Parts: sequence; C-alpha cells; structure tokens
Amino acid sequence: MSDLSVSLGPLRLKNPIATASGTFGYGLEFADVVALSRLGGIFTKGLSLSPHEGNAPPRICETPSGMLNAIGLQNIGIEAFVSGRLPALAAADATVFANIWGDEEEDYVEIAKALEGAPGLAGIELNISCPNVKKGGMLFGNSPDATASLVGKVRKATRAPLVVKLSPNAPDILESARAARDAGADVLSLVNTFVGMAIDPETARPRISFGTGGLSGPAIRPLAVRMVYQVKRALPDVPLWGIGGIATLSDVLEFLAVGASAVQVGTANFRDPGVSERLVDELDAYCDAKGIAASSLIGRAL
Amino acid sequence: MRDIRSRVESRSEHAPGLFSLFCSAPELVRTAAPGQFAMIGVDGRSQPYLRRAFSVADADPGSGIAEFLVKVVGAGTACLSELVPGQEVRLLAPLGNSFATDDLGASDRVAVVAGGVGVVPFPFLLRALAARGVAADLYFGGRSAADLAYRPTILPLVTGREFVSTDDGTLGERGRVTDLLDRELAGGARYRRLYACGPTPMFRTLARVLETRGVETEFSTEAPMGCGFGVCLACVLPRPGGGFLVSCKEGPILPPSAVDWSRC
Repeated sequence: MSDLSVSLGPLRLKNPIATASGTFGYGLEFADVVALSRLGGIFTKGLSLSPHEGNAPPRICETPSGMLNAIGLQNIGIEAFVSGRLPALAAADATVFANIWGDEEEDYVEIAKALEGAPGLAGIELNISCPNVKKGGMLFGNSPDATASLVGKVRKATRAPLVVKLSPNAPDILESARAARDAGADVLSLVNTFVGMAIDPETARPRISFGTGGLSGPAIRPLAVRMVYQVKRALPDVPLWGIGGIATLSDVLEFLAVGASAVQVGTANFRDPGVSERLVDELDAYCDAKGIAASSLIGRAL
Repeated sequence: MRDIRSRVESRSEHAPGLFSLFCSAPELVRTAAPGQFAMIGVDGRSQPYLRRAFSVADADPGSGIAEFLVKVVGAGTACLSELVPGQEVRLLAPLGNSFATDDLGASDRVAVVAGGVGVVPFPFLLRALAARGVAADLYFGGRSAADLAYRPTILPLVTGREFVSTDDGTLGERGRVTDLLDRELAGGARYRRLYACGPTPMFRTLARVLETRGVETEFSTEAPMGCGFGVCLACVLPRPGGGFLVSCKEGPILPPSAVDWSRC
C-alpha cells in the first residue's frame, strides 16, 4: 500500500480518484460493483431546491469516443438527498460532495444552508457550468462577474469546503478561475462538458431534443488537459480537480502531471461501472512499483 | 448487478442482420429472471463507447449459457455482429425488473404479443411459464416475413396457439398483430395476463385495445440507454400527468398505464 493521499486546500483525501457529478447517481447505485469507501470522493448528481424533471427524451447520443447529453439536471431535490441518501452514504463511509445548482443565486445559497453541518458531507461543488438548462447553470459560469457574485454569496452562507466547477464554454476559463478563487472558492474543478450538437442526416433534426448537448468522454480529454494546465500555470496556488474523459491510469497520470491534485472519472462510469475503484488499485500498484507517494505525481509537466 | 466477464460460445444467424449470440455466463443464468436485461460491451474498444442493452432472450441452466438476440441497426449492434466464438464480452447483469409469473398456475392462460425483434424477451419467459404449466398463446407480427425470422426458434416453446401477421402478407395473415389480438379478445379469448414487447406504435395501439378489453398487461419497454442501471437518466419515458420514469430502473417491465404513450 502506497501513500495515495492528496490535499486540496482544506480537503485531505485518501486518494485522488473521485467520480464526477451526473455520472455516478447518488453513489449507492454503484454499491454492487464499487466499494464506495475506497474512492477519494463521490460527487452527487446536481441537486436543486426542489425535485427537477429534466428534459424530454431523447437525452443522449453517442459520438466518436464519447457522448452528448442534455439530461437537464433531473434530480430528487436537496431534501430527499439529505434525508434519503446521505445517511446511507455516510454509513458506507463514502466521501461525499454535493453538487448543487439553481436558477437564481438565492437557490444556491438556500441549498448551501440546508447542507450546512449535514453529517457525512465532505464539501459542496457549485455547478455553474451545466449547458443543458434554460436558466441558471452555465449562465453563472460564462461571465466572471456572475461567477464572482454567486461564489461570494455561497461562500458567506457556508463553512463547508467549497469546490466550484468551471465551464469550458466560458469565453476565458482563466477569467472564470480567477473570479471563483477571488470570491472564496477553495478548489476549482474543471472541466464540465463542452456544448456540442449532432444532427440526424436523414431527418436533419438534432439527435437530442434539447438541440445542443454537453460533450464528454475521451473525445474531450486533450482539451481538458490543456485547460487544467493553463489554469494551473496562471494560478499555481489554487488546488484543481481535473475532469474530462478519464478512463485509464495513464489518463489519471496525465491530469496529475499538468497540476490537478485529484481527478473525477465521469462518462467512463456508464461504460464500465467498476472503473473508479479499479483506478485506485492501479494507481496504488503504480506508486508501489515506483516507490513513490501519489502526491509526488502532481505538477510534473508544469 | 455484476460486471461479468463472458465469452461468446456460438452464434446462430436467423436472417441477414439478425442473429443470436450465445454467451457462457453461469452467474447470469443462475440469477436472471425473464424480462431482465444485460448491458453488453466489448473490452478494449472505444467505439462504440457505451454498451448496448439486450434482454436475456433465453437462459439454459444446464450449460450456463445465455442467449441474446441482436438486430443490426447501428454502430453498437454492428460491432457485436463482428463477434466470433471465443471472443470475450462483458455483461453487466442482471438489470431491471422482471415479468410477473409467480402467481400463475396450470389453470391459467396468458398471451405473449411480439412485434418484430420485440420477440427478444419471450423464449426465456415462455420457458418459465411452461415450467408452471401455464398455457401461452403467441401473437407474433412484423412488417414482412423477414421480421419473423426468429419464429422457428421460438415456436417449440409455445404451449398454446400461434397467431402470425405481417403488414405485407408475406407470412401469416395480412395486417397488424394488434388487430389479431383484438379480434380474438372480441371473439371470447380470455387471458389472465398479457405480455408484450415491440415498437412504440404497437404499445400505443395495445394500450388502447387493452384499456377497452380490461386485460392485465405487462409491457417490456425500450428506450435508448446509456448505463442500464439508473444513473445516466437517458432512458426516460413520460409519466401520465407529467415527469418521467427511468425505464432501466423502474422497468423495463411496466404496466401500460405507467407511461403516457401519447407523448412517446
């Protein structure tokens, strides 16, 4: 057993392998194939104040080495999560981060307050980057002023470790990163999905009912690696959580090398639900063979 | 659910682009119930990226072999069509809920209604029904004879009568299988339960027919799935009165009334 622990601002994780919001349900769905306690973290499906229905189907379509989705943040709502899911996650010794979103700033603030002191909660991730809802979501992430205002208000409302998930669709991801950090984010996670589109050539209509969708999977990995690199070079003191098409150990090493202190495995969970725990094992074996600690793998490419 | 490493033992071709894969999967055969499904993937391929959902067509406890019926319609099924015996596949299974059969016995008669490749969950179901001594009539319809290429395989499992129709009249009666069923029901056929699987228009028509006839029914629903275990939320079906149900988790076996078929 190697030392796999990593630190991100106020967070100390048992290892750098976490699972991304929207690809891991509320965690418990994976209990048959993943020992939840072995993961560095679990990010929940994006939670809103009230349960949310999401978009009309079709909601996904497969693309080369990835997929487009426009689920529309369907979720059970914050109350059902706190009373119905969080206790079981805590009992399973999972490290849980609640991903939250809203239409208005006040929604985020209210959710953050509702989560304050919830037993078993390791932190909050602000979703300011979902491209698949008409209000809120990405609108907060695409303007540095809106990002700063929102993050500042949530920061005042909670003492929980605050992760802010950035949009790769923002005009300048560095500006977004600076705005989030200056407003009090402890950690930045990047990236969310890229807005994309796919058309059925026969009907000449979008393959997803929402029209556009978020592109994820290995197809986006080089773009995500570049953005993590770019942000880390400019803001070396901000801890980063790397996300984007991670499916193998070499993908994990790549993100750590460009300065991510931890990673989130996303779309790969759909194709291979046991992948996250397997990556913990593979990272352990890798560090063991080299006789190194996982934290020494961070930032080697900078 | 388990992510089972399995191997293709053999395959059989029913028609161009319609074949059965026989996979060795003792654990799946032991634990699956009729109506449940598996997400099938091929290791080491990034294209297609996602697995594909298939009902367990049949399961043989003696050999531990599960059958999956595949119709080639896109990239995922085309990839599976290249598999040859000896190749490894991954089966995430068993998934979803199953047909209700526990309450049936030798005095019961049921109907099984299949539209084209919608016949897929029924060999397994017919075996379970036969084991309980339940008489099952098969209604099997398609656009033309080629859609019914699986008929010779399933016929030996049918313990009751068989009704066949095609839109173009190339096999059985010309017309819709739902019309055959409606006619039999109008003529006095009585079924304790009806099981159906087929394309959405068939479900829509059946839901209407069955509402008037009052037969307890289970539909094996289908929607494009990303994960198969309730996480990606792609395979939603509209509920009457608003909102969506998640087909892979709350189904795929659902009563007609669970879905607003007018919005499908």
